[in-house]
Amino acid sequence: MADILTLVFRTFMSQSDLKKDVKVITPSPMTCSTLVVGDHSLSRSVLLLASVTAAAEMGIKVMFFTQTQIQSLPPSLQRCFSYPRTVEELLQQVASLHEPTNTSPTPPSLIIVDRLESFLCGPGGSSQSGFHPGEKSCAAHIAALLCDTAAFLTQVLEQRGSSSAPCRIIASFLSEVNAGGDPSATDPILDVLDRYFQVRCTLDQDSGYEATAAAVQEVWHIYLSGRGITDPSFTEDYNDRPGVAQEWKVSCEQGSRSCTR
Amino acid sequence: MRSFLPAVAEQLFRDIQKTYQEASQIPNDLLIALKFVFGSCALQALDLVDQHSVTCLTAPSGRKAFQVTGGSGRLYTCFLSCHYCPCPAFAYSVLRRNDGLVCKHILAVYLSQAMAATQQGSVSDQQMSLLLSGTMDL
Repeated sequence: MADILTLVFRTFMSQSDLKKDVKVITPSPMTCSTLVVGDHSLSRSVLLLASVTAAAEMGIKVMFFTQTQIQSLPPSLQRCFSYPRTVEELLQQVASLHEPTNTSPTPPSLIIVDRLESFLCGPGGSSQSGFHPGEKSCAAHIAALLCDTAAFLTQVLEQRGSSSAPCRIIASFLSEVNAGGDPSATDPILDVLDRYFQVRCTLDQDSGYEATAAAVQEVWHIYLSGRGITDPSFTEDYNDRPGVAQEWKVSCEQGSRSCTR
Repeated sequence: MRSFLPAVAEQLFRDIQKTYQEASQIPNDLLIALKFVFGSCALQALDLVDQHSVTCLTAPSGRKAFQVTGGSGRLYTCFLSCHYCPCPAFAYSVLRRNDGLVCKHILAVYLSQAMAATQQGSVSDQQMSLLLSGTMDL
């Protein structure tokens, strides 16, 4: 699904930036699952934009899972949204995507899960200490189920000759580990999720002098990285250079957003 | 760490499949390689295969999953396309300690496939959903 995110960011690029070679890479099985890591408000916006872009511009069926009700959705998108309250409900709903009620007339080819950490957090709360050993297994279960479901739906889409294949996954996750300021700390849940998601999209707010001096409201750096990413500017064979990052800068001024690469 | 097999393990299973098709047994060199790559769970997984413990369940929708009967008789549902097992060994040795690539149940699935020893079974679409979500074991 890195192709969908690239399309989302291109939407906000200026005409001069669009002349650069910003290729939307046709997804391969290696690029189909992406974990968005970072601030809630921007990650939620990215996920919503991705779903709307996918549905409107690419004509693909989207399933969006979130705990928080989204107000003011256009009627055409309302049926795409589901609000499981617990991780058990999320597992049940994702596990049932193979059933005929969900694959007719077309199976979903984009599955989005917003705020995985809110589903996974244990009874101790949202802090690092709230993730008990059982939560690692639970994180692996939901991540593996998402991947396996996407693999099955890809097979169905291909069997039906659909141009919407493969089925892509985007999930967002906010790690609390580095909030304490220790850059060497690792998040055990993120380590588990990294086993299953080939691409990571990191949203990082720019708090440097340049951003402040430019007096824009917010500047964000967005990095695509992971073993599912290749950069066409380095090689013509997209499969030869895994792990090469792609970077975007999003400037959010009041009432508008713009992107550069 | 990944949730998919490294190339050396994939090649090992291809070799086991080819050899087993020809000779109906796994030669010592491949058994040694199996133990080297997968550690102590290699022999336990082979025991599970010998006991015909691996079943591939298919639903009318076409969705499949593997069900492995563990040593204690408990049933574990594993996925087709990536590594996950609800057993304590997967949670501890694989996820928490990063000690092993897979648990014995997932390894038994791979060996069963390579040795054509997988049982076949069918379930309804709703039963498959319950199995995949971990809500129910048959």
